[in-house]
Amino acid sequence: MSTAAVVTRTVHDRWVGVLVASVSIGLLLLFGMAVYADIGSDVYQGMPEAIRSVMGVPDGADAASLAYNVMLGTVGSLTLAGLAVSIGASAIAGEERDGTIGLLLANPASRTSVLTAKVAALVVLVGLGGLALWGASELAPVLLDVEVGATHVGAMALHLTVVALFHGLLAVAIGSWTGRRGPASAVPAGLLVVSFVLAGVLPLLESVAPLVNLLPWHYFDGSQPLLNGVDVGDLAVLLAGSVVLVAMSEFGLRRRDLRGRSLGVSLADRLRTHPRAHAVVDRLAGSTRVSSIAARTAADHQALVLVVAVAIFGMMGLLMGPLFAAMEGTMTDLAAQLPEELLAFVGGADMSTPEGFYRSETLGLMAPIAAILVATVVSARAVAGEERSATLGLLLANPVSRQRVLAEKASVVVVLVAVVGLATFAGIAGGSLLGGLGMSIPNIAAAALLLVLLGLAFGGLALLLGAATGRVGIAVYGTVGVAVATYVLDGFANLDPRLAGLGRLSPFYYYRSGEPLLNGLHWGHAGVLLAMALVLASAAFPLLERRDLRQR
Amino acid sequence: MQPDAHPDGSTEAESRAPAAIRAQDLTKHYGDVEALVGLDLEVHRGEVFGFLGPNGSGKSTTIRTLLDEIRPTRGSATILGMDTHRQSVEIRRHIGYVPGDLAMYPNLTGRDTLRFFANLRGGVDWGHVEQLAERLEADLSRKVGNLSTGNRQKVALIQAFMNRPDLLLLDEPNSGLDPLMQREFQNMMREVVADGRTVFLSSHTLSEVERVADRVGIIRHGELVAVEGVASLRSKAIRRIELRFEGPVDSAPFEALAGAREVAATDGHLVLSFDGDMAALLETATATGGLRDVATHEADLEEIFLAYYHDEQVV
Repeated sequence: MSTAAVVTRTVHDRWVGVLVASVSIGLLLLFGMAVYADIGSDVYQGMPEAIRSVMGVPDGADAASLAYNVMLGTVGSLTLAGLAVSIGASAIAGEERDGTIGLLLANPASRTSVLTAKVAALVVLVGLGGLALWGASELAPVLLDVEVGATHVGAMALHLTVVALFHGLLAVAIGSWTGRRGPASAVPAGLLVVSFVLAGVLPLLESVAPLVNLLPWHYFDGSQPLLNGVDVGDLAVLLAGSVVLVAMSEFGLRRRDLRGRSLGVSLADRLRTHPRAHAVVDRLAGSTRVSSIAARTAADHQALVLVVAVAIFGMMGLLMGPLFAAMEGTMTDLAAQLPEELLAFVGGADMSTPEGFYRSETLGLMAPIAAILVATVVSARAVAGEERSATLGLLLANPVSRQRVLAEKASVVVVLVAVVGLATFAGIAGGSLLGGLGMSIPNIAAAALLLVLLGLAFGGLALLLGAATGRVGIAVYGTVGVAVATYVLDGFANLDPRLAGLGRLSPFYYYRSGEPLLNGLHWGHAGVLLAMALVLASAAFPLLERRDLRQR
Repeated sequence: MQPDAHPDGSTEAESRAPAAIRAQDLTKHYGDVEALVGLDLEVHRGEVFGFLGPNGSGKSTTIRTLLDEIRPTRGSATILGMDTHRQSVEIRRHIGYVPGDLAMYPNLTGRDTLRFFANLRGGVDWGHVEQLAERLEADLSRKVGNLSTGNRQKVALIQAFMNRPDLLLLDEPNSGLDPLMQREFQNMMREVVADGRTVFLSSHTLSEVERVADRVGIIRHGELVAVEGVASLRSKAIRRIELRFEGPVDSAPFEALAGAREVAATDGHLVLSFDGDMAALLETATATGGLRDVATHEADLEEIFLAYYHDEQVV
């Protein structure tokens, strides 16, 4: 068998997703650039050179570079890197999970050649995504007749592609060593998030600033490629890392036994057979878990929720308090230098106050991602997941209606998203105590409640899409797409008063415009989010009732 | 049409014990594909009904429609007198099901899986579960995801049998079971029937059905071709005939005989299924010359089955 067949098949399976993501980001970029262009360049005229440089705004450009920074620097790069991780984790470990690797290797292809083919497919797909983003970035200013000035969009796209590839290859390497898709996708995704967050924060703290060199993300935008063009040194670091990862993958894959479709032995399994722990653990991992559809569903997602909740609690909550206390002076100085318009521009967050700091660092992007991620994954799999794994037929051969299955699963979504909300609350409240920031506890609770409701609104959408189509992919990508689009919409609506009406359609408006950390709970906003969640979720029921269930 | 006058959906005549399954004009289209065409079927209580057809003939579509997983384009069906759509939840208190495309929760052990379904169903006697596990030599302590196909199938069989359902819907239930276990499973089905309960057994292997079934329905391209008692099917005078000759034999004259099928000649050995005039066959054999031995066997359902298909294809 020619390894070209493996490359072709893998690319064929995935290219649509990569292209759809790239085109969507391209469209958002177009939209963003139009908004920035509309606002005009006045904001930058009075800005000191040093601050323009910090912002990554090159000479003679404004709208374009800001749009590029938001769309490529954040949304585009995280999306492409996320896709690369998903593709990389599927490369070897995914084939083992599906039990297809045996058949693949029954052909005259060595493990090394299969791995090479998978890496080649990853390079092709990530390259394709990078090219599409680059194309969209070049096209947008032409279509809108916007002056781009001395920006290096090509360099940005190249850096973005290489950093995505690096994370994808890390997933390949972990998958090759362990044969497990879980760690292969979770570890690089976690690194992505941690390194994205820390790359923004660490340079502000003089004592730990050099640590930033350990973060892969630093080599993506540390050199500000949009402003300064390609940084050969940084790219070389990422490419060298990529080569090392490929070599490690090859070594790891060759030396171990391939996994069948078998499952690993978890800690709970060991404890269940342990004579002393048996009684308690068997109750927890056994009889409680299978006591109802809801309990079993919750148990299925416990790992995801645990990881997300601990990350939000520890890193985005607890850690941020002392961090802010440590650099409060720096933040105040920085804020004093910035013109008022610019503050409005970055979303009005006054980073010199703890509320503003938490709002932009924790509640701005990472906490919504966590809540929406948990809500979307659990909701999308509620019915569609059981259809995909062909277990729904057996489940519904029992005297339970489709309605009850959906209702029990929906209740699990509420509980698990509430866990994320609780972790966020505990993290920020703890961080405030540790850093001695004296933030209002009820206001923190209000912010966490709005976060939960935001997650549930998107959970409702995922539940609806999954119930209506029976496809996990449509439910997940559809919801994530709407989440990104409405996030961006709300961001731009803050800048352009003419978009304000449209911005009211975004759940994010109701999540953050009331500034809950400063003003407490805005009941009206909470009500709107709750209504969104309820309307979407209740529409799921008749749609599920009406259709044929899918077969694998 | 079946009147809906009675609250339980049954007609006057059968109000005491409605049929286990009754389908009327059951039809399912997927776009232009006709997966099931006008299926009329009645399965009596207390019988094993074999539902036979090759892969893709509509067996699973029928079962999934009966279970309300998919909705018929036309027609309706009742199970134990209850409408398969409107009373589907109530129906599911009384059935056991083994899906053809079996999948269970890989992270649960066999025991956890059974406990889970027992909790959903209620009224499961755990002693009975243990007994079934013992009979099938099932290992319930391992995770389902780590079991072989046959061992996973055992867990599925136990969950279908464990609440002593009135009707068992079994879609290709034999897959992966070794011959010893198949025999035990057949005994389990016989016991269900002896108890007055019903088994609907879908399969593409006739040999497994012929051992336990009372009646057989044959489905092809979504249409029910025939429903007959196993005994009357066998009585169709199809014979498997072996002829031995001294030298190599030409199969052409035998293929030309009316009622001859699947004629195969290797050297001096000729085998065919035959339901034509025996005298004509022997005449041809004698005329060929060098006939040394004749053996006839009663045809198994496999051959009868193929005969049915053969006829259909000719038409």
